[in-house]
Order: sequence, then structure tokens, then C-alpha cells
Amino acid sequence: MLGRIGKWIDERTHLSDLWRSQMVDYKVPKNLTFPYAFGVMALVAFAIQIISGIFLTMYYQPNVQTAFDSVNYTIMKEVPFMWLIRHVHAAGANFFLAIVYLHMFTGIYYNAYKKPRELTWIVGWLIFFVLLMTALSGYLLPWGQLSYWGMVVTTEIPTSIPGPLGEAISVWMKGGYELGQITLGRFFGLHIWLLPLILLGLVSLHLYLVRAAGISNPEGIEIDKKKEGVPFHPYMTLKEAAYVMGYLAVFFFFVFFYMHHFLPPDNFEPADPFKTPPHIAPEWYLLAFYTVFRSIPNKFLGFVAFSLILLLLLLLPFLDFSPYKSARRRSLFFAMYIVLVISSMALTILGAMPPTPTNAMLGLVFTAGLFSFFLSLPIISIIEWGWYKTRGGDKT
Amino acid sequence: MEASRRDVIGLAIGGLGVVGVAGVLYPIIKTLAPSAASLASAKVEVDISQIPEGNVRVVSWKGKPVFVVRLPANFQWNGTTKENDNRKLLEGHNAYALIAVCTHLGCVPLWKPQGEAEYKYPVFHCPCHGGFYSPWGDNIAGPPPRPLYIPPQSLQGNKLIIGEPGFVKEQT
Amino acid sequence: MIKTAFFTILTLVFFYIIWINNVFAPHETYEMPEQYKKIAEDDRYAKEGKQLFEQNCQACHSVRYDAVYPSAIQANPNLKALQEQYGKVLPRDVYESAFQAELAQLKESFGKVPPDLSTIYIAKGKEYLFNFILEPQKVLPGTSMPAVITGKPEETAKIISYLRSVSEPSSSEKAKRTLMGIGTIAYLVVMGVLIWIWRSRILKRMGLH
Repeated sequence: MLGRIGKWIDERTHLSDLWRSQMVDYKVPKNLTFPYAFGVMALVAFAIQIISGIFLTMYYQPNVQTAFDSVNYTIMKEVPFMWLIRHVHAAGANFFLAIVYLHMFTGIYYNAYKKPRELTWIVGWLIFFVLLMTALSGYLLPWGQLSYWGMVVTTEIPTSIPGPLGEAISVWMKGGYELGQITLGRFFGLHIWLLPLILLGLVSLHLYLVRAAGISNPEGIEIDKKKEGVPFHPYMTLKEAAYVMGYLAVFFFFVFFYMHHFLPPDNFEPADPFKTPPHIAPEWYLLAFYTVFRSIPNKFLGFVAFSLILLLLLLLPFLDFSPYKSARRRSLFFAMYIVLVISSMALTILGAMPPTPTNAMLGLVFTAGLFSFFLSLPIISIIEWGWYKTRGGDKT
Repeated sequence: MEASRRDVIGLAIGGLGVVGVAGVLYPIIKTLAPSAASLASAKVEVDISQIPEGNVRVVSWKGKPVFVVRLPANFQWNGTTKENDNRKLLEGHNAYALIAVCTHLGCVPLWKPQGEAEYKYPVFHCPCHGGFYSPWGDNIAGPPPRPLYIPPQSLQGNKLIIGEPGFVKEQT
Repeated sequence: MIKTAFFTILTLVFFYIIWINNVFAPHETYEMPEQYKKIAEDDRYAKEGKQLFEQNCQACHSVRYDAVYPSAIQANPNLKALQEQYGKVLPRDVYESAFQAELAQLKESFGKVPPDLSTIYIAKGKEYLFNFILEPQKVLPGTSMPAVITGKPEETAKIISYLRSVSEPSSSEKAKRTLMGIGTIAYLVVMGVLIWIWRSRILKRMGLH
């Protein structure tokens, strides 16, 4: 019976043809490593955020008077199982960003941003940027002390642009001279409608581009898919399904047993515009940028520096024009990649430390490390072009 | 593919998958269940000496309208009803509470102490589709499929406490 | 192989530091004797704690999520009618406008309205609360909180137990959540392993291994 219904539907939709052409006949390299699964994990994390978020909007009230209570009373105590949905959403946001970072570092390591995948990288960068905006706007919604003061600091950053422009941007973001109902309503709308819809579009485009330009290869060689490729289904789908189960197991460990970091205690105090909490630092996914901003003594230069990092990240496919691909074959690139990883991690950890002169000094050192990665890429590319020519082709 | 369908592991994965989907759906559906506040045993106290004999007052209990009926002493009622369930339960009490929601389609009936239409004695009359109930909420005529619901209630002196099990233990 | 191990360990250490135990970030720690910790963590003292709260703290503080309001508001005859309309836990906007006079008076006495304590246990933790309630000036110099029960650590611990019972789920609920967590994780691990075994079988049949 079920088989006949399935057949009836298939005769009209040709879904099985679609499945065959897109999943089975689609061939991928056999040697893809574990980090390639971060992509599908990010997709799972995105789905989890959308589903849990939809349920949270049923009880959340975007009103400065009642927002805090709707989160901490209605959602956490009154409605059955909503605590779970909130835990999933809060931990999910952190995991989503963590996976996206890992995905980006994987992409950099295997040079997955190079021809013909420049657009895949650029769209990915847009996803990262919109995701940061989504995280920032969502962080304001519980209207606790950290939500409030985190947003105060965020909306102050544009004022480092000299002249009336910076001030104008800041006021424009808040919808007034201080954070209030207008700000909350606006960020609520951004967080639940505009930004997720943009993300949905960008993610679809990103996935399409991955298919159109093909998956990169850890060895840095484009494979002949007809000969060497393995069918995406079941080879890759089941492998990634197993990885996703592992990922979810770690995720749910945090959801059930370790929410301390994802629902920080300070945010269980309602927003008080007259009292700043003692330790105010951005969330971990912004700490590296924050440290760059903080370590540079001039506020405007600090703003320029962290904007430049974002810009350099976007322009990565054009900074690196070497004929070779993948850190596996590029020792110079590998060395600079280590500098990049260590610098980003160090900047993140420094961001949570008190702003002593030593830390500011260290911050400058690692900021220099971060920039040296990006700026060394053209030099490395020129050197590698030299090697390429003397060897007379793509040999290592 | 035919052979793998009988594969034990394949079956186990399929079965576990169903369990997993059910596990995800369970909390999500549960969030739509009544919240802690609406489940809390709300109690409403009514001072029956404030209600004139033969009158009805409407109070709110758990968000629902509730009739508090005060009958005169030695109240006689000559109508005939389809059933006698409510009357048996409330017989001997001159003050009691009934949930004021017509069991047909949820309107609030009106108290007619002088009677209505062919019924020349006190009745509840539902204006929506013409249901008639006795003062105890038993059906006389009209579309309602069952008598009015009776909330748990107890009487302490002059205080009728709706929501506390007493002479009516639980909602009918 | 060395590279894989290096990056794996680096990533794990990094996330351990930023998510679980940031050894580099400053932490304020407060001491609380073990015997009082036990009282504060025990559900059985919550009821006694509530009575102590009513005697010592309710003059100024509310615990709105438990429908406990400052004494002046509790004495206001409007409270009951409002609770009938809005439920025991009044919405904050209704509460603040209905009892503006009482709240303004508290504000005049203390410089600000003494905070609502519904979520204070999660926000501050039992160690901080223990030290602060016993000796407010020592922990937060200049605070307008008076030393109400200085020298009574056991009573303080009981009040903390009450505040905990309002902020946190009950211990039976916590046990339920732990069980759910273990079940979920076990499910995912089993599912992952099964998929992996199934996959290797299919691949063997297809000659891809």
C-alpha cells in the first residue's frame, strides 16, 4: 500500500530521478577528511536554531517591561519543556558559531577558497557576517544585564569613527539616544525575521555553489570524478550522519549538563540602565575582534584594524594567488596557517582577561600575527609561482 | 537493496530513527500542553450570604465563568428533566456552583428566575441555540448533549470555596 | 598524523578554556562553610527559609516569581483583586504601575528600589549571597542593604535555600532532566555507531572499501 502511494507520487514528481541524479550519481572525492563534515554540522545547527527559535517566539514578549519575565518565568518555569528549547537555542547559537569558525579554518587550511571556489568563499563570508549580526541581535532579547550592556558597548563602537558620521550610525542603530523599547522591538524583528531569511537565502546559495564548483580536495588536486569519485549516497551521507550523531551527543551534553557558559549568571539580573555589571566582555566569538580593537591605543585605528581583518578575510581568494592548493603541499603556507590559528586563539583568550599593559602588549603582538598571515599570502604566492615555473608544472 | 532491507542493523536504525523523531516531537508537543500556572489549583471563595435568595452570581474560576446559585429554603421545582445526575449530587444544598458554559457550543446561559417560554419556573436558558437547564444544570430541552459541569466545591459556614474538594469531590 | 593530533588537541584545549574553565579570566570566589552549603542546597529547608525571608527580608524585597511582595504591597487591598485578574505572579508592568506609591517609598528610603530576588540565586550564587547577607558592607561597601541577620549563618543558609527553590528547578525535576540527558546522549551514541556499522556493510557490498 505504502509502496503504491510512493509510486503514485513518484510518477508525478520524479523525486527518485532527482535523488538518483543529485545524491547517487553525484560523485565526491574519496579522501575527504573529518573536517569536511563541519559543513553538514553547520547545516544541522542552523536547522536546530530555526526550529527552537520558532517555538521561543510563541512565548517571548518583545517589550522592555516584560521581556525578562517572559524569558525567565514563562519560558523557564511555566510552560512545560520550554526550558529545554531555550537551552537548545542558547547552546545552539554558540555551537553554530563554533562550527562555522571550524568550517572556515578548514576552508583556509585546504585552500577551498581558490579558483573555481572564490564565490563559495565570499558567500560563506557573508553567512559568517550575517550570523554575527543574528547572534548580536538575539543576545539583546532576554533583556538582562549582559544583554543590555553588551548592546550598549556594541552600539558605541561606531562612534570611534571621527566626525558626525559615527554618532549618527550609533543613534541610527539604537533608534534613539539610549537603548529602549524601540531598540528591542527592532532587534527582535531583525533576529526572528530579516536576518534568518537572509541566512536562509545565503545558505542555499552557498550549497548550490558547493555543488556547482565542486568539493575541494585535501590533496589540493582536482580529481577526475568519473574515475575516482565515490557516490555521495551512501558513501558520504552515512559517514556524515554518523559524525552528526557524535556532534549532537556533545551538543546535548552541554544542553543538559553544562549551560553555565551559554546562559551566563549575570544575565539573570534584569537590565538596569544605572548599573554596569563588573565584568563586561563580548561573547567568545567576538573576543578576537574585541582584543584587536582594545589593544590598539587609538580608538579609531582599533576600529579600522578589526574592520580590516574582516575585509582581508573576505578578500582571501585574491590575496592568495599561488598555483598550489592545500596546506598539505605548501610548507610556507602551513607555517603561516599555524601563526593564524595561534593568533586567533590567543586573541580570543586575551579578550576575556583584564586589560593590563602586559595583556595590551600581547594583544598587539598577536594582532600583528593575524595581519602577518594575510599579508604574507601574496609574498608566498609569488615565491610559489617561482617554484612552479622552475619545476615546469604542478609537481611538488 | 532488497537484501539490505532485511538487514538487522538497517531495521534497528529505522526503528531507532522513529524513536528519535518521537523523542524530538514529545517535548515540542508538550510545550503546547497547559502551563504550570493554569494547572495550579486555583480557588475562589464566595460569600453566599451576599447573594439574595433565588439569585445567581457569576464568578470567574480558572478563567471560566461559574454560576453561584443561591436557592430559597424549601425550594420546590416542578419541571421535568431528561436526567437527574446533577440534582442528585446537589440535592440538599441551597448554595452551589455550576460551570456557566453551555455544553452545546460554549455560550453562557442566562438565569431566568421567572421562567422562559413554556417553562413557567426557574430555569437556565442558553440564548445561542435554545438549550434549557434546571437550576441544578440538568437538561430540560434543546440541543445540549449533557448537563452543566459542576466544579469541585466545599462549604465552610457562609463561604463556598470553588476548586476545593468538599461536598463535590471532583469536576463531573 | 602529527598534524591531526596537534590541531585536534589545540581545538579541544581552546574550547575547554573558553567554554568550560577559563583559567585566564578573573574569578571572584567567596568562602562558604560546607555545613551551610548543605543547608542551602537542600530542598527541605526551603519552607523554613521562606518564613525566615518573610520575617527578615520581605519588608523591602520581593520574590515576584513566588508571588511574594514587599510588606507594604502585601498589605495593599488592591493586590488581591489584581492577582485575581492577572494570576498570582503579576506582570511587571502591572505590578510597577499599581504599586508605584509603595515602590517610590522604598526608593526614597534606600536610594533605589531593593531588587527583586526571583533570579538572584542564579545570578550571584550561594557563596556570594551567604557572605553578602551576613555582612553586606564588607562585600559591597556603600550598599544600602542593612545587616539584618548578621551572626546567624544557619538562618542565612536557609533563606538561600528558599531563594534557590524559586530560581532553580526542584530536585525531582533536576533528576528527571539528568535522566533525559543521559537517555538522549546514549541514544545518539548508539545511533551513530549503528549507522557506522551499517555503512561499512553497504560499502563492502558495493566494493568501495
